Amino acid sequence: MNEGAIQTIRLAGELDLSRKRELRDAFALSNDARAVLLDLSEVVYADSTALTELLRFCASAQGANIPIAILIVAPQFLRLVQYAGLATAFKIFQERGEALHYLSECAGT
Amino acid sequence: MAASELRLSRPARTHSVAPIRRALRAFLEALAFDGSALDDITTAAGEALANAAEHAYAQETKRRHRDVELLARFDRGELSVEVSDGGCFIERTPSPGRGFGLRIIRAVAHQIQIETSHGTRVRMLFPGPPLKS
Repeated sequence: MNEGAIQTIRLAGELDLSRKRELRDAFALSNDARAVLLDLSEVVYADSTALTELLRFCASAQGANIPIAILIVAPQFLRLVQYAGLATAFKIFQERGEALHYLSECAGT
Repeated sequence: MAASELRLSRPARTHSVAPIRRALRAFLEALAFDGSALDDITTAAGEALANAAEHAYAQETKRRHRDVELLARFDRGELSVEVSDGGCFIERTPSPGRGFGLRIIRAVAHQIQIETSHGTRVRMLFPGPPLKS
């Protein structure tokens, strides 16, 4: 799969309750998306609001049979996922190349 | 070492959470907390603050000016962080996308007490930062 077939959603900064509406708006599938890269590598803090919206988005993508790879770098964010018991709920990567490789494999190309 | 204390009160609104959280983080850094302990305490407090801002006064019909308060106190090697409000407490069972806040707090804090007799007060206890040689 070339990168053009991948919808990239990029967010940065602190993802908390105050950005709930923005998160919900951002986490939306485009009509031609075949795979989604959620690039959260510039997020420096996240709370359970972000997890809730991530779960919602991943569920809708799963229903549409669209793979999602999530790029997370911040240790706080990575531990938050663990503490919430969601480590197996998401496909999380710390390297962009690995995330893209995963999405390509999902597409079988 | 004398006890150190941070006490803040802000309107219980979603945009109040981040400034309180950042002030707590600065307070903890001044006490030599760092790394994962610094992140985890900030995370736990952030969850309690967010819960108060989102739910404490959600069922009130009058749009009164109500506050959420944070009290952090470091004394004799132990840190306590309290988040309190005058509203009602809602504990949700984690289910598709809800109720993760308390699960996260419980995973991070060494002890947690929740009092709901007069408003809600969430008190979390953490060990102090490791002594640097």
